[in-house]
Amino acid sequence: MSVTLVAVLFVAAGLTALGAFIAAWKRDLTGALTGIPVMFAGAGVAFVGVARFGASSGAPLLGQEMAVLLAIAALSAVGLGIGLAGREGTR
Amino acid sequence: MDSLHAIGFYVSAALAGAGGLFLAFTDSRQRRAVALGLVGLGVAGIDLALSAGFTALVVLICYAGCALLAMRPDHRFLEQAASGPWRQAGAVGAALLLAVLAYAAFRGNFAHATFNGGPFGSVAVGRLLFAHDALATEAVGGLVLASLVGAAGAWRRERPRDERGEGRR
Repeated sequence: MSVTLVAVLFVAAGLTALGAFIAAWKRDLTGALTGIPVMFAGAGVAFVGVARFGASSGAPLLGQEMAVLLAIAALSAVGLGIGLAGREGTR
Repeated sequence: MDSLHAIGFYVSAALAGAGGLFLAFTDSRQRRAVALGLVGLGVAGIDLALSAGFTALVVLICYAGCALLAMRPDHRFLEQAASGPWRQAGAVGAALLLAVLAYAAFRGNFAHATFNGGPFGSVAVGRLLFAHDALATEAVGGLVLASLVGAAGAWRRERPRDERGEGRR
């Protein structure tokens, strides 16, 4: 049993498409917002996979750096979206 | 890559996929947070199996934060303006995206290189973040600051409950 770049990219493709599906399918906007971290996770996994299997020259850990930045951006996007949705008043 | 790492990769990928599917089909806020936590755990496991320990740690922290935010009981229910057919078109678009990405991954002719980094890589990634690509790090820092200020400003004002979404919780 081994892991190749193709297997990593398949997982990344699945996560990205799943995130897009969540963002499109959820009726609740804050629920749809949770699709963004899943999409970003797919992109991050692809970057890490390329850094692990395919980076031969230059900075080999650039993909890991991109995955770190994407995770932070996903957290900011969810925070901003939920903040903009607003707090529900008590009746 | 040895068998242990390969098993870790596939188990983590299954965990992330199951978490994502659970997230897609659940409506409860608590369950949504659990699903997001599962996705984070799975992605962190994938990163760990791919010798990216520092990335796994950051991913775990960020997705735990996302899960805690999604779990809050007092954010408003806002219904999407898009109607049923548009949402269905979006779902079909996501399926097409999966097909295109999977085809690209399957048909791609990728170069293989030997990985020389360590299992954690915090020093190398830190050097990249703060020396080589400092501008990108500053841009993400600015994004975090803007989103925190925007979210805090918007969160201060209480808004009336949306009547349409009341029965769907």
